[in-house]
Amino acid sequence: MSDWEPKIVSFLCNWCSYGAADLAGVGRMQYPSNIRVIRIPCTGRMDPKFALTALREGADAVWVSG
Amino acid sequence: MELMGVEPDRLHFSWISSAESTKFVNVVKEVTEKVKAIGPNNHFIKDTAKVA
Amino acid sequence: MLGYTEKIKEIAGRLLKECTVDMVIGFRKGTMPMMNEPCFATTPEAVDTLWWDSNCGINLANYLTNRKEKVAVIAKGCDSRNIVTHIIENKIKRDQVYIVGVPCTGMIDKRKITGMVKGEIIAVSETEDTIKIKTADAETLFDKTEVLQQNCALCIHRNPVIFDEMVADAVQEQTDVDRYADIQKIETMGTEEKWQFFDDLLSPCIRCYACRNACPLCYCPTCFVDEAKPQWMGKGQDPLDVRTFHFLRAYHCAGRCTDCGACERACPVGINMRLLTRKLEMDCQEQFGWEAGLSLDQRPAMDVYQANDPEAFIK
Repeated sequence: MSDWEPKIVSFLCNWCSYGAADLAGVGRMQYPSNIRVIRIPCTGRMDPKFALTALREGADAVWVSG
Repeated sequence: MELMGVEPDRLHFSWISSAESTKFVNVVKEVTEKVKAIGPNNHFIKDTAKVA
Repeated sequence: MLGYTEKIKEIAGRLLKECTVDMVIGFRKGTMPMMNEPCFATTPEAVDTLWWDSNCGINLANYLTNRKEKVAVIAKGCDSRNIVTHIIENKIKRDQVYIVGVPCTGMIDKRKITGMVKGEIIAVSETEDTIKIKTADAETLFDKTEVLQQNCALCIHRNPVIFDEMVADAVQEQTDVDRYADIQKIETMGTEEKWQFFDDLLSPCIRCYACRNACPLCYCPTCFVDEAKPQWMGKGQDPLDVRTFHFLRAYHCAGRCTDCGACERACPVGINMRLLTRKLEMDCQEQFGWEAGLSLDQRPAMDVYQANDPEAFIK
C-alpha cells in the first residue's frame, strides 16, 4: 500500500477556516489534496456523531477547524 | 476516542482565522503528515462478511 | 437504611392527605427478590405499598421528565443530583417537585450475588450491614460492602444534595475512594489492546436499549439511534454499530451523568458501559472541575465558556 493516500474529512467553519481555505485558493498556495472539505456554519454545529459517521464511512481522519 | 482505542491523531482540532491562509496550508500539511504516519483507518470498516 | 420504609410511608401519606402533591414516586417490593420496582402512589391508601431497602437502584429522576402535576419523589444521593440536572435542563420546575431525601449506604448488586450463590435465590433479607441470601438448600450471609454495586462502592455523594425533607440523618460520605482506578488502567493499554478490550466488553450487547430507558438523562424525543434521515448507524448488532451507540450515548451524558448505575443495573447482559460514562465524568472533573448535579445555580461544564478552558488539543 505504498501509494496509499489518506482521506481526511475536514469540517471547516464558514467564517474562519473556510475563509482561510478560500484565501489559500485565491493566493494559489499549494497544499496536500488529501482533505475533503465540509463547510459548517460554525464550529458549534459540530457534533461527535459527524466525526464518527465520517470515520465509519471510510475517512482515515477527521479534522475540525474553527 | 482515545480510551476506545482510536488513535489520537485521527481527530484534529485547530483554530484558524479567515485571514490566515498560510497557517491553513501549514495545518493541512501537518495533519496529512500525521495521518500518513498512522496509516489507514482499519477499525471502522464493517466486517461485511459477518453481516451477510 | 432499615427504618426508612415507615418514615417514607408517613411522609408520603401526609403529603397526599394534605394535597401538597398529586403523586408520590417511590419503590415497592417487586415480585422477585432484589428487584424492587417503581411505585406511583396517588392516594393516601396507596402509600402502604411503599418500601425501601438495598434494592432500590433504579433512578427515580427518570420518571420526572416533563411532568405537569406536582410530584414528590424519594431520592437517594445520585437521584437528587439527577433531579438537579433535570431542573437545570428545564425538564421539571423546582416548585413542582417535593424531594424526600434518603441518605443512602449503597445498593446491592443482584448480578454479583446471583454469581456468588448456587441455585435459585428464594429470599433476601438484610440488616444494617449484612445481606442474607436464602436459596433452596442454603443460607449465606454476606457483608453488605462485599456485594455493593460498583458505583455505590465508589460513591462520594451518598446524601441528597437537594431536598425538602430528609428521611433520616445524613450518613457519612466516603472520602478515600479511588473512583477511576479501572479507567486509568485501560488508559495505559495500547491502541489495539483498547480496541480489543471494548470489542470484548460490548460484544454481548443486544441493542435492547434498556440502558437508555433506565437513564434519567436519555429523554430525547427521538434518540440518535432511531433517526433515519440521516441514519447515523445501523440498527443491528454489528460490533461497530454497537460501539458507536455506546460511545455516543456516553457523550450525550458527558457532564450530566451522576454515575447512578441505572444503566448497568438495567442491562440484561451485564455490560459495564459505565466505563465510558465515567471516563467522561473523569475528564469533566479534571478539565473543568465539574461534577454533575451538585448545585442549581451553576451552569453545566458543557454549557459555558470560560477563558481558562483547556485548549491544548487545539492547534
